[in-house]
Amino acid sequence: MTSEQTHKTKTYVLLFLLVVLGSVGNTLLSKGMKDAGDLDISHFSSLAAGAARVLTSGTIWAGIALMLGFMVCHMLVLSWADYSFVMPFSAIAYALVPLLAYLFLHEQVSTARWIGIVLIVLGVVLINRTPHRTTPQETVPGMTT
Amino acid sequence: MRTASILFFVVATGTGGEICLTHAMKLLGEVHDFRPRSILSFVLRALRVSWLWLAVVLMALSFFSFLAMLSWFPVSFVVPATSLAYVAGAFGAKLFLGEQLNGTRWAGILLICLGVGMAWADDLPASLHYPSAITVFRWAILALALGPLFYYLVGIYSAWRFFRVAHRGAVQTPLATNEARPISILKPVRGLDPGAYENFASFCRQRYPEFEILFAVNDPEDPVVPIVQQLIADFPERSIRLIVVAERLGPNTKVSNLCRLVREARHDLLVITDSDVRVEPEYLRSVAAMFRDPGFGGVTALYRGQDNLQFVAAMDCVGSSAAFCGAALVARELEGLKFMMGSTMATTKERLAEIGGFEALVDLHSDDYELGSRIAARGYRIELLPEPVWMVFPSQTLGAYLRHELRWAIGIRNIRPGGHFGMLFTHGLPWAIAAACVAPSAAVGAAYLAAYFALRFAMAWTVGVWGLRDPVLRRRLWLLPVRDLLSFFVWLASFAMNRIEWRGSSFTLEKGRMIPVAPRAGRG
Repeated sequence: MTSEQTHKTKTYVLLFLLVVLGSVGNTLLSKGMKDAGDLDISHFSSLAAGAARVLTSGTIWAGIALMLGFMVCHMLVLSWADYSFVMPFSAIAYALVPLLAYLFLHEQVSTARWIGIVLIVLGVVLINRTPHRTTPQETVPGMTT
Repeated sequence: MRTASILFFVVATGTGGEICLTHAMKLLGEVHDFRPRSILSFVLRALRVSWLWLAVVLMALSFFSFLAMLSWFPVSFVVPATSLAYVAGAFGAKLFLGEQLNGTRWAGILLICLGVGMAWADDLPASLHYPSAITVFRWAILALALGPLFYYLVGIYSAWRFFRVAHRGAVQTPLATNEARPISILKPVRGLDPGAYENFASFCRQRYPEFEILFAVNDPEDPVVPIVQQLIADFPERSIRLIVVAERLGPNTKVSNLCRLVREARHDLLVITDSDVRVEPEYLRSVAAMFRDPGFGGVTALYRGQDNLQFVAAMDCVGSSAAFCGAALVARELEGLKFMMGSTMATTKERLAEIGGFEALVDLHSDDYELGSRIAARGYRIELLPEPVWMVFPSQTLGAYLRHELRWAIGIRNIRPGGHFGMLFTHGLPWAIAAACVAPSAAVGAAYLAAYFALRFAMAWTVGVWGLRDPVLRRRLWLLPVRDLLSFFVWLASFAMNRIEWRGSSFTLEKGRMIPVAPRAGRG
């Protein structure tokens, strides 16, 4: 019983990390790219300067590191949970981005968007009521590669 | 129409990629140990699963087409439209992964789809700037052109891993006398190769207690017959037999002759080599040493060329040792060997019987590949000999060389269509040229070309000069870009053709099976 509970806890921890690392990583990457300015690719010197700005940006490296962490969490959680269970959780990011914009950037959020956010949360709650794994646990014989 | 097709492409590649990823992870089994060390070993194990690489390619394609879509349409359309991926993912999980979706899960997925649509259907306040389609295309080419460069790095790593052990391996494990199982060497031969006598004699000069050599020919008048008779006279202490095989069991006459040779062989351990192969005196000891491990199903060998070759032969040799042996080493490192090469096919009668004997292969074109893949499919290991064998490359015309390469490429496309298409990312020169064409400036283009030359030569040097100690490659390394370009065109042509010329007859290939074509009346 306890092992099943720790198992569940692990799933939620990873899903939480998945959403946070994914959305923060994405935001850092796009912020870093924006800070680096438009890439002017008409001359090598301006391209090199742009590339240098990108490569020396701490924001971008932090973004890359978070995305790598995201990928590892994704792989780990998929090693036991259903894809159709994990996939919908990533939609939380779509609800989170406007929500964070509302909370911290004080951007306007339209009624339609509020409804959307509520629907996403409801959907995730429903998914959460289904079993985490519905496929047999044995690996297919002969597929050891 | 364009909208629908790009949307389909984004969703299909993205969902396909994630499904492949899930499948790869499920193959590896559940991981519950989150210590950094075990996570690292999990990720390293994952990198050896082909499904993961397929997933990465599909997800990259999806990402680039998503960017392209954003450059054409507003984000308020793109995000809700691509939320179809949730539905596609649910269907995919049910169909391909066998997951059971109950009503609650379906309802949740539909709600999320709707929700993403509602939340993002407005124009977003952020002033997002997205690149134009041309820019996305240009960056996609520049990014994909890194693929072959990465392949060369993997090639260098794989060669280093193999030869680091192989260069000291042969000395490490001497074979005890009682472990030297008697061996039957089987040689189906036809026509006269350059240096045929010396090639054959190198097998007679083996320092090995007990072995026999069996030659098979179809035609008693074959010019190779006097050579074999000479050999029998010159090595009276060896058991050498020449068998004239009258029966023909299938279009692959080499395999057909092998069926007979296996029946004639007195010993259990079989070593089969092409007639253009020459070996060192310790060759059989080295093969027998590998078979001490009962997990081994087959042993094959890399090869290198003898020096002083004519131009086209040298190109053939450079391609074989730098490109083909390199690819074999990468395959070995990533997923383990699942094929054998004609340079050496060593197995036992028992393993051969398990796959139905050579009789099961008489219709097939790439018999060496198939033999290895069938033995590997039964769970046995295939491994490379630490020492490469010598291959005597014949002088030939450029046309003959290209036809031979094309025949080989068509054979591979037939048995491994996916893998053959994936070879796209091993062709560095055309990618470097494409990158140079779309590069924003001459310097970027030059950087791609320079990177190709540097890494290509580094891989060829590691595999051929350092690893295989190939004397031809050492002197004619500069032939490599010429060979690379020719081999790219051969690769392209292999998609357009399905007809091969082999030993004077025409065949078409269907899933690797040779189907004879009558000279005039179409299919015979």
